[in-house]
Amino acid sequence: MAEILQILILGLALGGVIALMGSGLSLVFGVMRIVNLAHPSLIIGGAYITYLAFKALGVDPIVMLPVAAVIMAAIGVVLYRLVFQREAKSAKYSEMTVLLTFALAMMVEGLLGGLFTNTQRVTSPDYATAAFFIGDVFIPKGQFYAGVVSLTIIAALSLFLKYSRLGYAIRATTQNREAAELLGVNVQFISILAFAIGIGLAGAAGSLVSFVFSFFPAKHWEWIAMLMSVVVLGGMGSILGTVVGALFLSVVAAFVGTWIGATWSTLTFFLALFIILLVRPQGLFGEKPELA
Amino acid sequence: MTKLLEVTNITAGYGDGPAILDGAHLTVEPGKVHCIIGPNGAGKSTLLKAICGMLSIRKGDVVFKGERLNGLRPDQILRKGICFVPQERALFPKMTVRENLRMGGFILDDKKELERRIDGILERFPILRERAEQHAGTMSGGQQQTLAMARTLIIKPDIVMLDEPSLGLAPKIVQEMFDIMKMMSAEGVTVLLVEQNALMGLKNADWGVVLDLGRTLFEGPAATVLADPRIQELYLGGKKAA
Ligand SMILES: Nc1ncnc2c1ncn2[C@@H]1O[C@H](COP(=O)(O)OP(=O)(O)OP(=O)(O)O)[C@@H](O)[C@H]1O
Ligand SMILES: [Mg+2]
Repeated sequence: MAEILQILILGLALGGVIALMGSGLSLVFGVMRIVNLAHPSLIIGGAYITYLAFKALGVDPIVMLPVAAVIMAAIGVVLYRLVFQREAKSAKYSEMTVLLTFALAMMVEGLLGGLFTNTQRVTSPDYATAAFFIGDVFIPKGQFYAGVVSLTIIAALSLFLKYSRLGYAIRATTQNREAAELLGVNVQFISILAFAIGIGLAGAAGSLVSFVFSFFPAKHWEWIAMLMSVVVLGGMGSILGTVVGALFLSVVAAFVGTWIGATWSTLTFFLALFIILLVRPQGLFGEKPELA
Repeated sequence: MTKLLEVTNITAGYGDGPAILDGAHLTVEPGKVHCIIGPNGAGKSTLLKAICGMLSIRKGDVVFKGERLNGLRPDQILRKGICFVPQERALFPKMTVRENLRMGGFILDDKKELERRIDGILERFPILRERAEQHAGTMSGGQQQTLAMARTLIIKPDIVMLDEPSLGLAPKIVQEMFDIMKMMSAEGVTVLLVEQNALMGLKNADWGVVLDLGRTLFEGPAATVLADPRIQELYLGGKKAA
């Protein structure tokens, strides 16, 4: 029993972080129909910002999180203007953005590789290696904090989307861009805003990732596949779906990893992706493809 | 009669593409129901899109209350009091009825006033009140169209433009939609609609406009358009069944 609880809690904590990693990807897809293959590479960008602040100034990664989020959001605005704005009017927009973001991911990887080399890095605040016990259940502090912070950020994002005026505008643009524009929403501004928030979320996730996983510039290839599984399971564009998908898959992966073998746990994600695409391509909470 | 909106011989198209409208004109008088008819591809939807600022007008004028609207953005035209409900899918399917109504008042700054108006609309449309917390996408076609029309009233517009509000609805429901339009016009909201079913549309309208190949062939009182033998032959004969 304690073992099951143990695996469950670890799975949920990691799932929370993965949910945060995927939420920006999902938001950007929802509003702009951009499958941002560069998203995980930008998470790694956020992780390096956090790493530098930790190494040079001893700033705690969780304290650094809002800073990394703002820096990455600003980079997001620049990227949007440089890369995506011109394409937005093109009829081949969706196909183009897949290629563009693929190229962008490689650019970011190359840039980070040049700056930081391909050595594995990790930030090591005290809590990253500490743990506490609830009864017999062992809870690593680092993963626990990261999971709680992630889910808190996602909850704040959801409240913002649900209740604020800009949140209404973002949701409306996601669901029906033309109708939103006809009701007076500046959809161009909303696109930039959503993109900035999405990349800002990548930055925030990067801060947490910096002490939960070790990272190096090419690590994002591993993550894009995992994040695609999560986002596709949840339904592209649905934040709630992303959270459910992330928690579910990472709990399953945790059980597979413990009971079947660690080498099989990554396969959980890809197998899930494959099955969902075959059986229910719109995911759990996504729109039916014909409505997309 | 004073004219509320006057479209004179406009030319318009999509992007850099060919002109879809060329020589389209139309007059809109306050408080009446106006119906644009014409075959598929005539440019009816394009005409409404040009009026509401979604397409740029290359030649000719759109004049509303004595002011030229050419070159204004959709949100600016909306603020002037012209609201457009596009063909199909005008709603936000995963927002509730109430949230859809709130989006209808997106340009209003006074949130208290917005909530008051939403309550007013829900009062007037019991079907919507019953479903205030239901997702719009899960409602029937008639309910969705009712919501789309009711939503325009939030900003108290002068003109509501509706692109084929009857599309895909059963005849009995279509009549309900026309009744709502009549109610709107009785309250002083001018209605400009596009209708595939020419007979049905003209019977429920005060003014008729016949559009073909991007040009206005004829406009006049709906009864006159209905009675015109050319129009009868061209558009009404084969359309009754449709
Ligand atoms: N987004 C677009 N881009 C380019 N051309 C378009 C676009 N939408 C419509 N057209 C073209 O404009 C012409 C008129 O189309 P429009 O939709 O205005 O016709 P309609 O009278 O509304 O027809 P229907 O009764 O089928 O709705 C058609 O030839 C169509 O191919
Ligand atoms: Mg049309």
